[in-house]
Amino acid sequence: MLAMLAGAANAAEKGQIIRAGELYAQPFIDAVSAAKLTASQPVTIIERRGAWANVQASGKTGWVRLLNVRLEPAIASSKPSSGPGLSSLLRSGSMGQTVTTGVKGMSEEQIRASTPNYTELAMLDTLAVDGTTARAAAANRKLIERPVDYLDKKKGGK
Amino acid sequence: MRIGRLLRVALAGCAIAVPAATTAQLPGIGGLIKGAKNAKNLGDSFRKISEPEEIKIGADLAGIILGVAPLLKYPAKQRYINNLGRWLALHSDRPDLPWKFGIVDTNDVNAFSMPGGYVLVTRGMFELMRSESELAGVLAHEIAHVVRKDHIGALQAALRNSAMTGFSDYVSVGGQAGSLVKTAVVNAGKDIFTRGLNKNDEFDADRMAVVIAARSGFSPFGMVGVLQTLSASPDEKGFALLYKTHPLPVERIERLDRAMGTKMDALALADVALPNFTVAPPAVTTPATTPRKKAKRKR
Repeated sequence: MLAMLAGAANAAEKGQIIRAGELYAQPFIDAVSAAKLTASQPVTIIERRGAWANVQASGKTGWVRLLNVRLEPAIASSKPSSGPGLSSLLRSGSMGQTVTTGVKGMSEEQIRASTPNYTELAMLDTLAVDGTTARAAAANRKLIERPVDYLDKKKGGK
Repeated sequence: MRIGRLLRVALAGCAIAVPAATTAQLPGIGGLIKGAKNAKNLGDSFRKISEPEEIKIGADLAGIILGVAPLLKYPAKQRYINNLGRWLALHSDRPDLPWKFGIVDTNDVNAFSMPGGYVLVTRGMFELMRSESELAGVLAHEIAHVVRKDHIGALQAALRNSAMTGFSDYVSVGGQAGSLVKTAVVNAGKDIFTRGLNKNDEFDADRMAVVIAARSGFSPFGMVGVLQTLSASPDEKGFALLYKTHPLPVERIERLDRAMGTKMDALALADVALPNFTVAPPAVTTPATTPRKKAKRKR
């Protein structure tokens, strides 16, 4: 029971390695290798930290590049009974609202059949904030601007 | 630039070359509208579009999504997403558009943007976010589509075989010709929302999104977390449309990995959870209908 609660608080996620590579002992690219990982190897994600994920793989714990981990496809993780659904399983807990029933979805057919709603559009206009307001809110939150260059498509294209 | 335009026009048909050359020298909206009038087809009207025209188109396309799912009636969340979205947009190449952000009330997981600065995120998507940097990634991806004018490009392509005139009526006076154009634009918009943009537009938007998020003080790896979430979900019903309209999440992760390498490692920041909205009561939306409750709460 305690284990279950702990698990729910930090919802360990089941993932897979995308490309074969190293399981590092530390979250650094020049850290010692703790093990070799193969493509599609299952891992349990313990924590995400910046560019790194702390994972457990075949009984060993270490670090992999976050960009080398995907989550296990839903088929494997969803139960045969409808259950709470994947979206609620994936939720981290802080947002923990239960899925509301009876709210319609947004399918291709519904978009095709849609009549533009200008009442809602007018309401959307009223929600907008100007740059000054957004800046003040960001300053309040202590968000720090940083100069960052756009990325090239190619790797290492610095 | 003008040479390129003239060349295109010349290739498209010699009869148009003279008036197009004249209008190309006229700056401002007037010149653009004249250019649109002389356009060979409706798609041409999107080639060089003014900001007010873009906003008008964006409004009609936003209306389509709002026609399926209305805005979530939760002012604190809408204010939050507008402050966050606008802050991110300030770090894009189009900081001065009249950006508008909204959460639409559906369980389905998706996010949309429209020309001119409209961004709509579904409640299903909003609730999947593990952290603010993930939400920043989603919003920045949509902002990138607007900045890059991906929808305008798609509309131009979709309407290139439409011989319709009346684009300037559509953006200004409306009327019969204008309303025909509007129908064509709305239908083309529905095509874009249900078929998606080009795959490359999506990869490019991902790459721009991590930069916009990082510039705004968020971890660029939030976007990666979102793509990981999506990488688990192909068989869930609420993800169907998003999957149909975007490249596979794992492919997007791989493309980002290629572009990011270790270049952005130093820009990583600790993830911060979204604010706890359960503290703020959602009842404040319509004070006219619930004056009594509100008064009680104050005491």
